[in-house]
Amino acid sequence: MLSDRKSFNSGLVLLLSVSLSFGAQASGEGLQIGLSGTSAVGMGTVGDGTIAKLQAGGHDPKRNGFTVQNIELSLSAAVDPYWDAQSNIVSQISPDGESVFELEEAYFVSRALPLGLQLKGGQFYTEFGRHNPQHPHVWSFVDQPIIASRLLGGDGLRSQGGRLSWLAPLPWMSEFFVALQNANGETTHSFMSSGEQHNHGGEIQAEASFAEFALVDRPVKNAGDLLYSVRWLNGFDVGETLGANLGLSALYGPNNTGYETDTQILGADVFVKWQAQQSHRGFPFVAWHTEIMRRDYLAGDEGNTAHAKLIDVGMFSQLTWGFRQGWVMGLRYEWAQGNEAHAHDALAEEEIDPMRDKRQRMSTNLTYFPSEFSKVRLQYNQDHADHLGGVAHSFWLQIEYTIGAHMAHQF
Amino acid sequence: MRFIQIVITTLSLLTSGIVSAQLNVVTTTQDLAALAQAVGGSHIHAEALTMGTRDPHFAEARPSMIRVVHGADVLVVVGADLEIGWLPAVLRSARNAKVQTGGEGFLDLSEHVALLGKASGPVDRSLGDVHVQGNPHYWLDPQNGLVMARTIADKLIEMDKTHRVDYEANFASFEKTLQTKIKQWHDALSILKGKKIIVYHNSLLYLAKTFGFEIVAEIEPKPGISPSAAHLAKLVSTIKSQDIDLLLMEPYYERRSAEFLQRNTGIQVYVIPQSVGSTSKVTNYIELFDEIVFALRGVK
Repeated sequence: MLSDRKSFNSGLVLLLSVSLSFGAQASGEGLQIGLSGTSAVGMGTVGDGTIAKLQAGGHDPKRNGFTVQNIELSLSAAVDPYWDAQSNIVSQISPDGESVFELEEAYFVSRALPLGLQLKGGQFYTEFGRHNPQHPHVWSFVDQPIIASRLLGGDGLRSQGGRLSWLAPLPWMSEFFVALQNANGETTHSFMSSGEQHNHGGEIQAEASFAEFALVDRPVKNAGDLLYSVRWLNGFDVGETLGANLGLSALYGPNNTGYETDTQILGADVFVKWQAQQSHRGFPFVAWHTEIMRRDYLAGDEGNTAHAKLIDVGMFSQLTWGFRQGWVMGLRYEWAQGNEAHAHDALAEEEIDPMRDKRQRMSTNLTYFPSEFSKVRLQYNQDHADHLGGVAHSFWLQIEYTIGAHMAHQF
Repeated sequence: MRFIQIVITTLSLLTSGIVSAQLNVVTTTQDLAALAQAVGGSHIHAEALTMGTRDPHFAEARPSMIRVVHGADVLVVVGADLEIGWLPAVLRSARNAKVQTGGEGFLDLSEHVALLGKASGPVDRSLGDVHVQGNPHYWLDPQNGLVMARTIADKLIEMDKTHRVDYEANFASFEKTLQTKIKQWHDALSILKGKKIIVYHNSLLYLAKTFGFEIVAEIEPKPGISPSAAHLAKLVSTIKSQDIDLLLMEPYYERRSAEFLQRNTGIQVYVIPQSVGSTSKVTNYIELFDEIVFALRGVK
């Protein structure tokens, strides 16, 4: 893994230099190059080790002090009349001060398939709920929801594969997605993930267990060992000022705590947005985004001494209010819980799994957009978690900018 | 037998909704939909993706837009980067090759009118959100409206040759009405001629050119940037020193800044519709200028 990563880094430098010089020459041919940078500074009432567990998202600010959360280079263009292509290359600086590069997404999408069909292939975010495929620069909070980190992984669920989607000929917008992706890799948490890599004194180590269950070296034998996902997304306009999205998603795939074990994740998501009839640059607005998810994780093959069905449930509900042009206030409530999170019925707090315990978080924030291309955000989090044995408070100040290609205004 | 008949009737009813004889014309703004309807008449169904009550630059790529663009035969856009924040995202998901940029059903009207305010010299975003290709608010010059209608008519004829005669007749009648109206509007707005005027955003450039007024300052210090207290204070002294007596703005901008200037300088503030659909009274392109004239009737 380590050598792969090194060669990827040098490849990345080459790719960057090639693409930038190419972009400068070929801007007339529609190559869009954009870069967004997100950084945060903050302090909590608990130490760095605990903060890193509470802020479990790969792009969350996760230590007292400064965090470069996400520097994202995105390149996109039409390939020819049949395909569009996009790639996002992300770099960030880990809490240990190490620069980390990832090929976050690199995919092609068809432009001209008939019957409302569209094909996507490459490395891409799995279509599960509304939050998972979103990039950090469109988040309404400085950090990702707890339940997303727990079930879909710190970096979001993404992998290599193919996706077919179909726009149904219905009187409202209704789209079905079916995807087949590799279940193994670093960013397939809950499935055959090799585990997130951590840098300990220059040595890269991967977690070798999942919730106390040792990982086995499980080979991919057949199509049954891939990650399957389906999603049904519906969009409605209610009058001229209200829009709503309703989605249902499901994931199914093998996990590597055994040779026969598998994981299933189900989710439902709602997004409703009101925008004033006469709005000044999109303001005022009120948006409500809620997702609920459940994971059934069979850990350890049947017959093994260590064998359990791990069930995790969680939700987040967030309200954002653009009360005047450029100003947004946000409120978020989250709840997550897993069964058997208290290892061996131990009562000591350090024995409680911070990724599965009962936890609630309340967050509130205020965001100011000096222009379309930058924002400043101040956020307060209040955490109640079993493994904390009390309450943790933290404050974060986030600054974000985008340069180059105009980022899409997604609903 | 009877069951089969019912099935066939139902199927034909369903498909008649999908495969209709009318050309499905989708536009990014209500101005373009109104122009398309004027020349397309009963042979087309025109639908706008955004409403005239909102700034089209700040629209969002809504799922409902994907469905509408998916079913489009023709997609007419303002262009010059006005829709850059949302249209590319909609087109990527719409899976309709015909209306992709450069497709036979794609029509960018900014390529057919003479754009003002093209950027000269180096431009970056420290100057605000400058549209490098030129100012995209060109529909506010009625002479451009004529060019736009003609270009849409040509596209409709290209896509639907059987109704060429009707499209030509519709255009001719629109042209006649518009030419008569343009004279009336010029007479009615002659009071604006030579006047120094403040606007909110750099969006009334074409209106200024056609009706002969001069835009001396904007409430926005730079395009897309909100005014600071210092900038407003500077405007107060500009208004006083240059003897500016009129401020024009679109209905969707915040009013606090204009009210501040009015309180401190006594400047006349007029809110004018900038697009079809911006108020319930503006349902077509001719009514847009009728309403602008009506809104400005009290100008001294």
